[in-house]
Amino acid sequence: MPAASGMSRRLALALGTAALALASTAAQAAGTLAGTDIVNVAQATYESPDDGTPITIDSNKVTIKVDELLDVTVVSSDPGDVATAPGLTAQVLTYQVTNSGNGSEAFTLSADTARPGDEFDTGFEQMILDSNGNGVYDPGVDTIYAPGTNDPVLAPDESIVVFVLSTIPASAEDEDRAEIELSATANTGSGTPGTIFAGEGDGGGDAVVGSTGARDADSGYFVIQTSDVTLTKSATVIDPSGGDQPIPGATIVYQLVATTIGSGELTNLVISDDIPADTTYKAGSITLENAPLTDAVDDGDAGSFADDAIAVALGTVPGGQTRTITFQVTID
Amino acid sequence: MFKAISLAIALIMPGTAIAANNVSLSSDVFVERKVAKPNGTTALVLEPPTTVTPGDKLVFVVKYKNVGRAPATDFSVTNPLPKAVAFNGTSDGTEIVSVDGGKSWGPLADLTYLGGNGEVRPALMTDVTHVKWTFNRALSAGSGGKLVFRGTVR
Repeated sequence: MPAASGMSRRLALALGTAALALASTAAQAAGTLAGTDIVNVAQATYESPDDGTPITIDSNKVTIKVDELLDVTVVSSDPGDVATAPGLTAQVLTYQVTNSGNGSEAFTLSADTARPGDEFDTGFEQMILDSNGNGVYDPGVDTIYAPGTNDPVLAPDESIVVFVLSTIPASAEDEDRAEIELSATANTGSGTPGTIFAGEGDGGGDAVVGSTGARDADSGYFVIQTSDVTLTKSATVIDPSGGDQPIPGATIVYQLVATTIGSGELTNLVISDDIPADTTYKAGSITLENAPLTDAVDDGDAGSFADDAIAVALGTVPGGQTRTITFQVTID
Repeated sequence: MFKAISLAIALIMPGTAIAANNVSLSSDVFVERKVAKPNGTTALVLEPPTTVTPGDKLVFVVKYKNVGRAPATDFSVTNPLPKAVAFNGTSDGTEIVSVDGGKSWGPLADLTYLGGNGEVRPALMTDVTHVKWTFNRALSAGSGGKLVFRGTVR
């Protein structure tokens, strides 16, 4: 292409320098922003054959508009299985949806609670957008998601936290797992990488499906953790003459064995037992795992005796453990 | 401001107008695409840059020709890299480059990159701001050629 007249040529050079100084596009992980123009001009310099002065000429200008790459990533934010129990409602799994494309894009979200291969399905309640951005579900504060109505619009590299709320069926059993998948799909389009949606890109160019297919999904998991406790009570009688007859004056040693089961843990487990009629509690006789406990209430000690009943506070006990308590009474 | 520039250009114009036509320079940009062929092989084809996204490989072709009657001496071609393009080498390797906006030049291996935070390290392809070819011999009348370099859309 022959160089244009000297006038416009020089002017283009001056403007080109100004544009170069202004251009300071921030680097994006997602790449150059959609709609950015790539402008290329080459320059040649040589000496004038007439007088040896240097001459610089510009080539034609090639302008390419960067099109929108449609990409999205979905990641479960829970560090592992989320413990829950049968019959609970508003049980939360947390996900993060990131626009990994280079243009502003709206995404449709979908939660699948009926995944194959898990032990139970939860009842889907709601998807919630973490509108205050604190990463924690705030009932009544965060926004309820309605597909097609408030699809989140994310800038390039921007993320949003999404909560999926579930009801746990009463029929779920201990250690059962449920998979819940959240998917996000670019509203402009999705499908085979490389698919072009002409003229639909952010910034006025095309939109092109990226390597993610413009759709991504990840799963979070609930695990049922139930627990229960069984109590076994036995009695040993020692009469004053060393025999085992339940006669007045004889001592009865009661043994309570608490056995916890299940994958969960029991919090604030307290074992209590009434002193039987026609017997008298033998002061200071409570033991836990063969260690003596005091009778006083609220003395920082696990044992207590009050209102004709003994009680032992065991605190939080995981499943699969036993605690042995004994106390003594005298037959009146 | 704008008027003043135009005026200044108008004044210096007469001396350069005729000589400028001695050399023509053109720029073309293509996108390199992998195309699956029916026989199962993959072919690399150059396409016009109708749809370009980050990560795409661009091929820049600069054609030059001395269209005048006299040789052009001290001939060089410079292509400043668009901000959104990361340099990816030339086809012949005879270029020199700049990583500081055109202040200093040399083969990439000889250059050092100075980061904003005092960081100093050997220059990388992605640091390149300008690519330049200097010719040892005068470009004789009627002769020309093409220069090719590659870049990746950032």
